[in-house]
Amino acid sequence: MRYVFVDIFIDLLRSIWLPACLVLLWLYASSGSTSIYFPPLADIVATLVGEIVHGDLVRHLLLSLSNLAVGMAFAIVFGVACGLVIGRAETWRRIWSPTLNFLRAVPPAAIVPIIIIALGVGAAPKIFVIALGSFWPILLNTIDGVRGTSTALIETARAYRIPSFLFIFRVALPAALPQIMAGIRVALAVGLVLMVISEFFGAEAGIGFYITDASTRFAIQETWAGTLLVGAMGYVLSSLFLQLERRLLFWYFQEDGQAATKRKGRRNKVGGGQ
Amino acid sequence: MNIMTPVKPPMPARAKSLSVEGLSKSYCNINVLSDLNLRVEPGEVISIVGPSGAGKTTLLRCLSGLMPPTSGGVKVGDEQVREPVAEIGLVFQDYRGSMLPWMRAVENVAFPLQGKGVPKAERLARAHACLADVGLPGVGERYPWQMSGGMQQRVAIARAIAYDAHILLMDEPFGSLDAQTRFDLEDLVLSLRKQLAISIVVVTHDIDEAVYLADRVIVLSGHPATVIDNVDIELGANRDQITTKADPRFAQYRSRILEQIRRPPAA
Ligand SMILES: Nc1ncnc2c1ncn2[C@@H]1O[C@H](COP(=O)(O)OP(=O)(O)OP(=O)(O)O)[C@@H](O)[C@H]1O
Ligand SMILES: [Mg+2]
Repeated sequence: MRYVFVDIFIDLLRSIWLPACLVLLWLYASSGSTSIYFPPLADIVATLVGEIVHGDLVRHLLLSLSNLAVGMAFAIVFGVACGLVIGRAETWRRIWSPTLNFLRAVPPAAIVPIIIIALGVGAAPKIFVIALGSFWPILLNTIDGVRGTSTALIETARAYRIPSFLFIFRVALPAALPQIMAGIRVALAVGLVLMVISEFFGAEAGIGFYITDASTRFAIQETWAGTLLVGAMGYVLSSLFLQLERRLLFWYFQEDGQAATKRKGRRNKVGGGQ
Repeated sequence: MNIMTPVKPPMPARAKSLSVEGLSKSYCNINVLSDLNLRVEPGEVISIVGPSGAGKTTLLRCLSGLMPPTSGGVKVGDEQVREPVAEIGLVFQDYRGSMLPWMRAVENVAFPLQGKGVPKAERLARAHACLADVGLPGVGERYPWQMSGGMQQRVAIARAIAYDAHILLMDEPFGSLDAQTRFDLEDLVLSLRKQLAISIVVVTHDIDEAVYLADRVIVLSGHPATVIDNVDIELGANRDQITTKADPRFAQYRSRILEQIRRPPAA
């Protein structure tokens, strides 16, 4: 346990060197830029720092992130719960499958305007949009994961008369966890996009609002600064999530040489599309 | 294998027989088992042998209640087995698949007790004691994937014992282990049956193993399969790998059973 933070740090360094090089390249290439749309990176960063220190950027970001957190929490709870039920009952799955496949094909971003119109301004519609968009990958992956529980485990549980609530929480749920985590990873990316887009309409605060507001005021550097911050945020969140995943699924990744093939075998029901 | 602290003293009072009455099983109109009758007395060890595809696994699954027979029935004591019952513990050939990889060995052993409502401290203590009884003291904190095949199969046996099963059903439990490990586990089974007075039904491909372990060997053969021989093994209660297997009677039992299995099923 003592070395956990050192491990995380080393992992971070290992994954960060290429992005760092690209940033340096951008910094160099844009340094003499006179285009108003592509200002020098150094200027953007200076604006970003200024906005963080003196402006409202942090408040906007925290507001958006809290929407994301609440929306994702709803999506995870409902997605996993529904997935466990549907995945375990063959008839339920057959009834729901066509509907689910249709609904997941609707790009979540397309329903943002209608929901904002229907639910009005404030945090609720934004949370709803994030939750709805993140729900599908989690639900579909949970169903898939539960259905993939090995028959050997199911039979062992039956032979030892494991009651269903214990079976669900100590057998089916952990067995589906690798798939569920893969689903949440996709959902996180979807949620981040929706977090920003949902603030393009009917919002007075939030990072998405900050970006559109800056762009309508033609404040290019602020627009860039907000965009950069969202990108960095997404990167940090997904790195943290990968760490969490690796720790939570230690048994999955450490099970001898099979882990590599298994990891390949674990696929997402839903691509990263928005 | 030395058993220092028996989990439970022999308790013949609770022991029940396992009986099979007129059991038949068919898969989509293919008859696999036909009108089997069989009785395992309390404390008795029987081996089931037969050619591959004869229906041994099918029989064991019917005995355990995991699969309903097409006709006839299985009884534990006077009670009809329809679903898995509390008296029966199962040890699968696929030890990897039957362990929960997210639980430590001791948690795997204790898990069925949680289903029975045994309080946590008690079930963990029992699980540790049972792990010690199968020769795995002090490895309870390991995960199954940190153990060898033989160790995992010991954990599976510990799980059945902790569950308080007094009928143990094993389907080719040692089939994928090396010879030395198999011998150790065979001796473990013999010492457990002595300590605990449990009945054991073991399906095996290995005729030496069948004879070595059992009081009685059942030979299944034919399409559909029936009991074609029922061999009482009179080698006494104290057996060991070297002298018992060198006994001339051992060789006689062995060749008698081998002959039955290799005889064409038409006969
Ligand atoms: N689920 C099933 N559906 C249809 N047929 C099956 C099924 N399971 C087994 N069988 C058939 O039943 C017969 C007996 O199978 P079983 O697995 O009981 O044999 P076995 O004696 O255990 O063989 P082995 O020694 O190879 O393990 C085989 O012919 C097999 O093809
Ligand atoms: Mg078999």
